Amino acid sequence: MISRGFFGRRRPAEVENRLPPGQYLVTDFPVLSAGPTPHTPLDRWSFTLEGLVGSPVSWSWDSFLKLPSQAFTVDISCVTKWTKLGTKWLGVSVDTLLQSVHVDGTARYVMAFSDGGYTTNVPLAEMVNGQAFIAYQFDDKPLAAVHGGPARLVVPHLYFWKSAKWVRGLRFIDHDEPGFWESLGYNMHGDPWKEERYSGD
Amino acid sequence: MDDEVADMNMALMVDGNAVAGELQQIFGRDMTTAVARCAGCASDAEMGALLAFTRGPGVVLRCPTCRAAIARIVETTTAIYLDARGAAYVRMGSRP
Amino acid sequence: MQPALEWQVGEVTRVRTETPRTKTLTLALPKWMAHRPGQHYDVSLTAPDGYRTERSYSAASEPERAGEVDLTVERIDDGEVSPYLDDVLMPGDQLEVRGPIGGYFVWDVSLGGPLLLIGGGSGVVPLMAMLRHRAAQKAPIPARLLYSSRSAQEVIYRTEFERLADGDGELEVVFTFTRHAPPGWTGYQRRIDPAMLDEVMQSLGNGVRSYVCGPTLLVEAVSNALVAMGLPAGRVRTERFGPTGT
Repeated sequence: MISRGFFGRRRPAEVENRLPPGQYLVTDFPVLSAGPTPHTPLDRWSFTLEGLVGSPVSWSWDSFLKLPSQAFTVDISCVTKWTKLGTKWLGVSVDTLLQSVHVDGTARYVMAFSDGGYTTNVPLAEMVNGQAFIAYQFDDKPLAAVHGGPARLVVPHLYFWKSAKWVRGLRFIDHDEPGFWESLGYNMHGDPWKEERYSGD
Repeated sequence: MDDEVADMNMALMVDGNAVAGELQQIFGRDMTTAVARCAGCASDAEMGALLAFTRGPGVVLRCPTCRAAIARIVETTTAIYLDARGAAYVRMGSRP
Repeated sequence: MQPALEWQVGEVTRVRTETPRTKTLTLALPKWMAHRPGQHYDVSLTAPDGYRTERSYSAASEPERAGEVDLTVERIDDGEVSPYLDDVLMPGDQLEVRGPIGGYFVWDVSLGGPLLLIGGGSGVVPLMAMLRHRAAQKAPIPARLLYSSRSAQEVIYRTEFERLADGDGELEVVFTFTRHAPPGWTGYQRRIDPAMLDEVMQSLGNGVRSYVCGPTLLVEAVSNALVAMGLPAGRVRTERFGPTGT
């Protein structure tokens, strides 16, 4: 039954070509949440690269902030059907992080892991060449905890559940493994332009 | 500021009762008075009293005592997934 | 045996403005079932392009009113469903719903009392269903409603509360205003706190059953306070509405 006078969300014509299929434009920043906000004090925060690497490497918060950072402006699409255009971030490119570690040639996938136990999987080839960042500023301000601060993964070309909030490290693996939502019916890859929402899409 | 931020995320939490419809769709009966035992801390809670995080790709139901995930529910276009590995068991009356 | 939970198409028979931000929709339901006070209905909207979204709203009416149910909807300005329900829906329109749902946050006279109801904002809606049912059953069960609103103009069902409490020696309705109290107001003008709860509960005696409903942060504060005051956790039932303000 179609609800008389209900038109759902907006796909304004002037930005239609920037909205992936089935997505609607938002101008606010909806908060998505699977649990309480973890509150790791910055002096106990670290970021780690592990798994199929020569030897694991970790940064403290202070040393992470000293890494070369990059500003980037991207459109983001959430599988719950909202798209937000032109979001402004500052963070460290995964390419920069990879300069500090030798990744084994057998590594094909990355499992991002977060405070609170969240995980998500991304092909290694889609984490490099400027495609993924560990961001700690949003809109010129420190990233709010509610949006994943102090730092979150941002992989803007995939649905936003791949951009793990409260991220604490990346584990390099040789085969694909499902993360928190991928193990419960969500797509292993998650390309919004191909509408890869659920497994089998 | 950090307090405000923490509050804001907590403010999104609702009760298991809020997903009573989804649970009833899965089980064919009201589940909000069924008791779930947390596999982590062994506390019992009625499913209606679990902490529910519903604003995301799926629903996460958490233990009110230790906050561990007791169950997750995802509804795709073709299927409903229920992962209840965080529950040692769910106990319900034998006559709904 | 419960019948399966199925979507049905109800017809809006009446729309009543309660406050500037809330309206009550009366729905006639072809597959009406008596609800237990406190239960909710899921409402589903479908756009012409197939986009579908769902929300839950508590039944406000008493189950004694057969064939129809009242849903009181608070308007969330940037929401996608409540502005539609408040601004677009008119008598004669159809609305897809399923329910009644949920056996956890329910009270009926068979459970007895004394009854302590605590509501913030539109959290008063399921509590109203309990009080209307109690009145319909003419049950002399001691009951208190403590109702927190930002201002007097945001109080939902005010005249009906006054009517219910008038001439019912066992029911007391207590308001508190967190932003603007009406001129000459001598009652509470602050957020609900343990001292207020203590005063409201004092005359209820032992074995209180409490139902707390409203914005999540209010429910958190009140339910923690009630447990700290010695109420068994199993007798403090909560319904959190999420982030809407008090």
